[in-house]
Amino acid sequence: MKQLSILLAAGSLTLFACSKDDNNGGNPNEDFNTVKTTVLADFAVKTGLPGYSNLKDKATTLNNAITALNSSATDANLSAAQAAWRDMRSTWEQCEGYLFGPVEDDNYDPNMDTWPVDYVQMDSLLASSNALQLTDIENLSTLSLRGYHPIEYVLWGKDGKRTAASITARQKQYITSLSLDLKNICTALYTSWAPEGGNYASKVQTAGSGSSVFAKKQEAYIAIVDGLIGICDEVGSGKMKEPFDAQDPQIVESPFSGNSAIDFKNNITGAYNVYTCKFLGNEGTGLNKLVAMKNISLDNEIQQKFQAAITSFNSITVPYEQAILTQKVQCQNTMNAINDLKATLEEKLRPFIITNITD
Amino acid sequence: MVMMCTKPATFEDSEYDIRLSGGAATAFDETSKAFGHMMDGMNASDQHAHELGDHAVEQTFVTAPAPINSGLGPIFNNVSCVSCHHNDGKGNPTTGLVSSSMLVRLSMPGTDEHGGPMPVPGFGLQLQDVAIFGKQPEAKVGTTYTDQPFTYPDGTIVTLRKPWYTILNPYIPLPAGVIMSARMAPPFFGLGLLQNIPESTVLGFADEGDADGDGISGRPNYTWDPVNKKMMLGRFGMKANTATILTQVAAAYQQDMGITSTVFPQESSFGQPPADGLKDDPELPDSILNATAFYIQSLAVPARRSVTDPQVQQGEKLFVQTGCANCHKPTVQTGVDVRFKQLSNQRIHPYTDLLLHDLGPDLGDGRQDFTANGNEWKTPALWGIGLFEKTNGTPFYLHDGRARTLEEAILWHGGEALKSRQQFASLSKTERDALIRFLKSI
Repeated sequence: MKQLSILLAAGSLTLFACSKDDNNGGNPNEDFNTVKTTVLADFAVKTGLPGYSNLKDKATTLNNAITALNSSATDANLSAAQAAWRDMRSTWEQCEGYLFGPVEDDNYDPNMDTWPVDYVQMDSLLASSNALQLTDIENLSTLSLRGYHPIEYVLWGKDGKRTAASITARQKQYITSLSLDLKNICTALYTSWAPEGGNYASKVQTAGSGSSVFAKKQEAYIAIVDGLIGICDEVGSGKMKEPFDAQDPQIVESPFSGNSAIDFKNNITGAYNVYTCKFLGNEGTGLNKLVAMKNISLDNEIQQKFQAAITSFNSITVPYEQAILTQKVQCQNTMNAINDLKATLEEKLRPFIITNITD
Repeated sequence: MVMMCTKPATFEDSEYDIRLSGGAATAFDETSKAFGHMMDGMNASDQHAHELGDHAVEQTFVTAPAPINSGLGPIFNNVSCVSCHHNDGKGNPTTGLVSSSMLVRLSMPGTDEHGGPMPVPGFGLQLQDVAIFGKQPEAKVGTTYTDQPFTYPDGTIVTLRKPWYTILNPYIPLPAGVIMSARMAPPFFGLGLLQNIPESTVLGFADEGDADGDGISGRPNYTWDPVNKKMMLGRFGMKANTATILTQVAAAYQQDMGITSTVFPQESSFGQPPADGLKDDPELPDSILNATAFYIQSLAVPARRSVTDPQVQQGEKLFVQTGCANCHKPTVQTGVDVRFKQLSNQRIHPYTDLLLHDLGPDLGDGRQDFTANGNEWKTPALWGIGLFEKTNGTPFYLHDGRARTLEEAILWHGGEALKSRQQFASLSKTERDALIRFLKSI
């Protein structure tokens, strides 16, 4: 989402004027003004906050699993730790559907998800006698030694064929502390949204009516929509495209676990969760309802493009680092579907918001 | 016959849309992403180059040798462009942390062969306060603040905080007489427009001997450009010590991240113990360097907000009346550029004259940088300043982030700006609020 038309953004184009009062089949009895307040409130408490709550819990599970692996290096414990990593990753990648607020302002994202892995530094750290307790990890000078990917590197090994017996004592201590660090970061992130902490959820809820972050509702909506556009851009034009263009499996995001395509799909699913306000069993009033009230064909188009993008991943049947070499057409089709979705969000949904939510 | 009498006339001020701070290179977005939009109307090829640069500024560098983003350090200040330039903007005034956006420049008294600052033996011109694992940074920086109350004529007291910096644990003793200057990462956008202001326009603003007697001089900095290999008008950097976006970008890669390029092919640690000894320089492909420079050149300026608000309009008048606008030039015309129509002949509102001004000893760093003396700073562009609360989470102002509010930033002004500060201070609370409200609209 990088190009904004001055005219479009100024909301002065007649293109929108004709859709403004069209009902297009939405329920005329619902009050648009009520729904636009509900959407923000539901986003905050039914998607945003529960997402981080779930992430915090999964970080605890991962930390427990790695602690168990550290005390007993069995292949079963290794598998359990790997499963916990994937499970936590699933929530995190979906939480990336709303990358704004504390996660961005307070650097939680780079603190847990910096990429690429710095092999040279990691090898020298592990080869050194530097202590590897939590405080030592927190004092490391670069984030590429912390977070998901160094844990992934140790849990799977560079070739993805790790056995529990081959993990060194220092590696085990390293990932034990890394997972504790991750747990602390996720707890802090959750707290930043929770009522008992920074209460960012309420800052979204009260947008346009006293929020210290969003003077207008429109600002909160734009932040949400830009989050959707941003993640589509990151996946479609970055994470997938670069290794594909370079035909280089080494520069895929999660290469050790072979989890990259799942990560990407979860990113787009996360954006869809936000659009429809459905996440982790919670269900609320989403942007889809708001859009449908004024322009049901736009909502249909967005829903259809989300579905097309998400289901297109099903045709990628091997890990992404192999797919870029052996399933090029499928990879390209997925990127096309994501870029198509992004274009609709950018060129239609964002202007819709600017035109219809002005307070 | 009638047609022949019609000559093109200039537009009246009122015929321009004053929201268009960057002219055609303006983007309408007031969110945390407001600084990150490409100029409108670029062709597909330029959009591609911009996107490559956009991607490049987000990349985390890692230690060499690595399959991707290789070459970090061995000594550095941070690991990616966006680590310091949060949301294409500023960041926070800390040093040496993963989230830090501030660095410290160093020099010895005297000048180098081009009239630039004299490097400190063993340290160079910038302190790299972080190192890859197993290497020692040049030093750490200690920061403390002391309160400095300011009392308005109406009795209102504002507590300013004055920063004090010390160099801790240097890897070798620092020579006596080292001069330090801390500075925060500035925002990226609008630099293409500033680069395209004709030199004659900038020189036209200068009044070195204060011939008009208004207490404000203003003079250009001339700086050595390593790409063009000549002295050029300085436009970028807190003291206008850099002539072009390309040189600015290359210097940041090399000095801030330890990434060498064809412009600066030598590691910042060259000749020092942490040098990596690898023969991998330049580490950054020219295509990435150029794409990054292009990205910055083609970032649009955020549009103004609330321009019809009476309080904002009152504040704008006061901004002129108190003399702020004498240096923070509200309207400037860019030169013709056949390559970029969006940057060409644009009426822009940068609120800078790109000149050096003496801001007094309280803000002074005592460090000469080409012709800039120890009390002089380049007038920073103010466009977008009202959006730092959005892009930055917590905003910080001035070159070293000492000001926590726009009011504090104004109150730090001294030297040539002392009279303006006094006029601001003598305004009523309502008027002061209006002026600050105006700043938040730009």
